[in-house]
Amino acid sequence: MKRREFLATSAALTAAGLLPGTLLSEAVKQENEKKFPKPLEFQMVGDTKEFELFIDIAQQEPVPEFEFHTLSFNNQIPGPEIRVNRGDKVRVKFKNKTELNHTIHWHGLHVPWRMDGVPYVTQMPVMSQQEFVYEFVAEPYGTHFYHCHWGTLLHMQSGMFGSIIIEEPKDDPIKKKFPYEREYTLIYSAHDTNFIRGELNYMLDRMKERMYLMKNGRFDKERFATFDTKEQFLEAIKNGYSPPYTINRRAPSELPQPQWFTVNGKSYPMTPTLYINEGENIRVRLINAGQLEHSLHLHGHDFWLVCDDGLPVPQPWQQNTARLSPGKTLDIIIEGKNRGIWTFHDHDTSRVTNNGLYPGGTLMALVYEDMPPEEAELDMMAKKMGLKSLPIVALDE
Amino acid sequence: MFKQKLFLSLFSAVIMFALKYPAYPQVTPEIQLGARGVMSFNVDRASGETASAVNDFSDSGPLVGFRQKLYNNFRGQLVIGFQFPDADSDLGQLFFHQVFLKIEDQSNILKMGRSRVRTALIEFPTLRDDDALHFTDVLNPFSAGENSEDNQYGNVLEGTHIFGQRYWLRLHGEHFTETPTAPGAAETDFSLNAIGLSFAYRVPASQRWNRPILDQVGISFNNFLTNRPGDFSEFEQALKNIIVSTVVNVKPNPMHFLDVRHQTIYNVGFGEFTELNEYADLARTKAIGTFTSLRYLYRSLERPTMQLALSFGYKTFPDLANATEQFQVVANGFYRLGENFDVGLQFQYQKFNGDLRGILGSNEARIQFALIYSIDQLWNNQFDDRDSLLNLEHGYIP
Repeated sequence: MKRREFLATSAALTAAGLLPGTLLSEAVKQENEKKFPKPLEFQMVGDTKEFELFIDIAQQEPVPEFEFHTLSFNNQIPGPEIRVNRGDKVRVKFKNKTELNHTIHWHGLHVPWRMDGVPYVTQMPVMSQQEFVYEFVAEPYGTHFYHCHWGTLLHMQSGMFGSIIIEEPKDDPIKKKFPYEREYTLIYSAHDTNFIRGELNYMLDRMKERMYLMKNGRFDKERFATFDTKEQFLEAIKNGYSPPYTINRRAPSELPQPQWFTVNGKSYPMTPTLYINEGENIRVRLINAGQLEHSLHLHGHDFWLVCDDGLPVPQPWQQNTARLSPGKTLDIIIEGKNRGIWTFHDHDTSRVTNNGLYPGGTLMALVYEDMPPEEAELDMMAKKMGLKSLPIVALDE
Repeated sequence: MFKQKLFLSLFSAVIMFALKYPAYPQVTPEIQLGARGVMSFNVDRASGETASAVNDFSDSGPLVGFRQKLYNNFRGQLVIGFQFPDADSDLGQLFFHQVFLKIEDQSNILKMGRSRVRTALIEFPTLRDDDALHFTDVLNPFSAGENSEDNQYGNVLEGTHIFGQRYWLRLHGEHFTETPTAPGAAETDFSLNAIGLSFAYRVPASQRWNRPILDQVGISFNNFLTNRPGDFSEFEQALKNIIVSTVVNVKPNPMHFLDVRHQTIYNVGFGEFTELNEYADLARTKAIGTFTSLRYLYRSLERPTMQLALSFGYKTFPDLANATEQFQVVANGFYRLGENFDVGLQFQYQKFNGDLRGILGSNEARIQFALIYSIDQLWNNQFDDRDSLLNLEHGYIP
């Protein structure tokens, strides 16, 4: 069998598992639900909602047959979703199960500054096997996220992010304007898997050495490349200390070049599907936890942009392409007004690729689940190819 | 001449264009470039005579590797490398010491081609690989001893299976170079002339900070398929060697690291060799050789700074009519000037007794001042190594 024929066959086989006949089945929908962040259970301790998070090393599989080592909260990528009400007292008990350092930064939340999770500014890093307890009052309302703030360039593209949603259960400003029942959280990220692999190995090796020295009382702050003041840093350089970014040490020649793009940890064709019915409004919470900007375009619809960085915008406005910058969250309302199967994707099409090959990445679909089957019928050509109905997952080059 | 230059230029341009724009997309391999430069100023004093070499650059050379993923979780690799051998080695200006293909998965390795033969289980901290060759390697009984490469490199076919990340079982067959050949003639017989089996416990390098005291222990059986003169069975014609080795991390401290390396080679030998008439007899008479190194490594600010090593070798030949022994001491120190760039000083002294005096002289002393630079760069990195921390401790990803 020639390579191209083999690819065509494999594409057809993949498609067989995702045919619309089954796409609208309960089993497939239940499977799709697993592609969204799972709510994190909490315990009421007095008047405080207490959550538990841990970090460990895991393997991420954005698509079948491609895995890479990464970090994860509670063995989930993205981490579990924390949902609280505005004004709730929140306690997050955080355990670091890795041999690396970490913190948690609550992105967009008005936490006390000592809870902000910035190493050496608001707290010391949470070292291996250590615990740290974050406490804050949930403010402000809206879609936010948490992420590690240690080695941010590496750790954020290594699965260390999750959503935190602060609700107004009785008086949601968006629900008032756009009544909805269903909502979805989509967290975007971009990964240079070669950078992640190299850096994780290097940092694990370095931290093993440091932990050995710590146990033997031979560790000092210069080894940690940490200084009390800038003057101390300059003095250390005079005495022979060579910073890692200098070209006679280990400075890498290039910044990370992401070649995998994920939504909720998955790349097309494994990205989640957004279901909608005619006449229904759905709320989609978009979070960019990666380092690249995404230009998210929905076919066949103009959605309402209702929140920016979690904050309700004074006057929602319609658009069909949303610019999701790094660190930003946007909430959109999609009105079910145009029955069909519609593509929702990054219009920077370099991010609609897997390892450099189109299609892939952040490509996903909005599916009307009340669509009559006859509307999804295929044309003669597709039938001749042995396909049955739309949407087809095609991976041929 | 002009036509030749023009042809070469056009040919090069076509090749470069073809490499840059292949006719159809191909798997981009990982490209590994290694290189080592060892330059030393030597002063020798052998059996009362002094000589010096302004610049000895033997053992220097590049190594290029290409590696890609295959189907079914295997990886394929091509390695090509050459060295500048010793000036009196009879090997010419360049010696291709590594030209091999390898396929491997998590626990199996198949290797074919020219490469390092399995005549040693471990490496020792000497300036050059062959500085203590008579102690550190099983000697090639087919060699006339004109160079060390005959003992270290050959055409190999070997299979390895790795159990539980640390136990290496290896079956290997080799063609060792046979010298001398007739004047002006090239070697034409490349048939199998050695087979062997080894078993070793090795702590992967990435586990070095997990405080392993026992780093390596191994045993190896090597058999050279010789044409032993006389009425002997095939089994009796095989020259048998046993190697036992250990590496112990006496002080596995990252700042002040201390390890001891030891290897003993027992050459069962042929009983009829009771005197040494020529160099090849050295490898055919019974011999017990042992070599031990004590190495201290100082790492300042997470980077190697200085290494000091002291090594001793002793070898005896019990079947020889004259009591014959061989001693060697090697002391060296290296100081790191920059990433992978070292300056070094090595002193070695060898003493020969009995029959060895007729072949190697009575003693030899050598002082070497050296600069050493090695690089190991990887482009198009796409997958992890078997022994990486992630693959060993967090699940292997093919």
